[in-house]
Amino acid sequence: MRLALILFGAVVLAFVAMPLLIVVPMSFSTAVSLEFPPPGWWTGYYAAYFSDARWTTPTLNSLGIAAAVSVLTVLLVTPATFAVVRHRFVGKGLVNLALMLPLAVPHIVMAIGYYAFLADIRLLQTFPGIVLAHTALSVPLAFLVLSANLKGFDRGLERAALSLGATPARTFLHVTMPVLWPGFAAAALFAFVQSFDETVVALFISGRDTETLPRKMFDSIRTTADPVIAVVSTLLFAAVAVLVIAPVLWRAVSRRRSEARP
Amino acid sequence: MSKSLAPAQSSLRSWLLVAPLLVFLTAFFLVPLAQVAVMSVSDPEWGLGHYVDIATDGFHLRVLGDTFLTALIVSLCCLLLGFPLAYAMAAAPPGLAAAMMVVVTMSFWTSFLVRTYAWMVLLGSRGPVAHLFSWFGFTAPELLFTRFSSTVAMTHILLPYMVLSLYGVLKRIEPSLPRSAASLGAPPSFVIRHVVLPLAAPGIVNGLTLVFVLCLGFYVTPILLGSPREQMVAGVIGQQVEEFLAFGEASAMAVVLLASTLVVLGLYHRRFGLDRLWG
Repeated sequence: MRLALILFGAVVLAFVAMPLLIVVPMSFSTAVSLEFPPPGWWTGYYAAYFSDARWTTPTLNSLGIAAAVSVLTVLLVTPATFAVVRHRFVGKGLVNLALMLPLAVPHIVMAIGYYAFLADIRLLQTFPGIVLAHTALSVPLAFLVLSANLKGFDRGLERAALSLGATPARTFLHVTMPVLWPGFAAAALFAFVQSFDETVVALFISGRDTETLPRKMFDSIRTTADPVIAVVSTLLFAAVAVLVIAPVLWRAVSRRRSEARP
Repeated sequence: MSKSLAPAQSSLRSWLLVAPLLVFLTAFFLVPLAQVAVMSVSDPEWGLGHYVDIATDGFHLRVLGDTFLTALIVSLCCLLLGFPLAYAMAAAPPGLAAAMMVVVTMSFWTSFLVRTYAWMVLLGSRGPVAHLFSWFGFTAPELLFTRFSSTVAMTHILLPYMVLSLYGVLKRIEPSLPRSAASLGAPPSFVIRHVVLPLAAPGIVNGLTLVFVLCLGFYVTPILLGSPREQMVAGVIGQQVEEFLAFGEASAMAVVLLASTLVVLGLYHRRFGLDRLWG
């Protein structure tokens, strides 16, 4: 039974991995539509992706929006996380719930809400509108990441700095920040990825001049099954691979280095 | 910083730190959300007409029923597939477990659209699954744009949530517990059923809740891969807005969807506390 369970687990792992792997050969295929195995190989669709403004513009739009979202999210979430993690105050439970709420509301609900709301304040189909919406949706993840980090922070370090005469601002910049920066980076990254991948809200509130990459991909899959989709998918997949594997490798290398130095 | 402030003063300072974010969320999250609720009873005219329609006409009820059924099937499939994988990961030696974890997290982080597209290739009429059928001498049935294809893809997309929450609890099980049960003569299937499963229960409930709630509101995959005749709630909401600009009707459906989601999360919260759900 135990062995059967583990073997079945291996099969499931293949089920998890297979669809991810299939987009890579698809991107080098000469097929004009969904065909696997590929009838021939070339890199023409890569050239098509990088030279076609209908693909590069949405990509740049999404990168810009995601960058703005990650900065805005971290700026808003950081002070709030410090308050929630470190202080007891009246109404803290409510604040906690409010910060998590965007995670509980299905995106399609917010999509029609934002559509009507942004039209009212004349921000529909504009970059600021998308940034505001995506920032609100990024708050819970950034808060979760940052508060997990902050909970593990040893406050004795701050007390030591303060007792040695450092001002609170100096303490924050030179003691708190250097220890917590991986947490800030992770929170910013979560917000960035959340915005970069967000499809449903963007479908409703982005316009022709503010088209995001997921919207372009969605339209492309829905209407033409353009083979360039495989190229975009492979590039996104490669970016994820770098993001996921790099920390694992880094940890393995630094562990080996610390073992080598007894 | 460590100087003790009077409670009221400290409370005030905390609120000042939280204020910018709360103001932001109120203006750019709660107001649009409230707008949905208002539109559901005011567009095109005031009244509860849309809700009466949803509760009485067959179409909306069928869509809601289909959505719940799909979410239930997908959650159970995720559990059936996710448990063996999480179990294998917890049992594997550290290096192998880390490699398996990389595969699962990569799937987790890969865009829904990319994974949906991959399933279009896999299940397409000229894809590998169809080839496999013809290899055995069968003609492949139409797989794409059916309830089957969207269910498979949603299971695949949500599986990492289940695996990650199961792995978290399985990894924490004291290895001596199943071992001592086995040394006392319990056969392996008994150990898994009566020792491992009960200890993994919190992770199972977590995973089921997450997958169920996420599946209820799924938009992209059912639209791209599912049957146009068997839509899920989110798809119908989108269609009402995109094609008919029927904001009132769409909003009422959205409120029902939101209420269903919050009921499930509320039940979870009362029993276990919401802050545990996202680990």
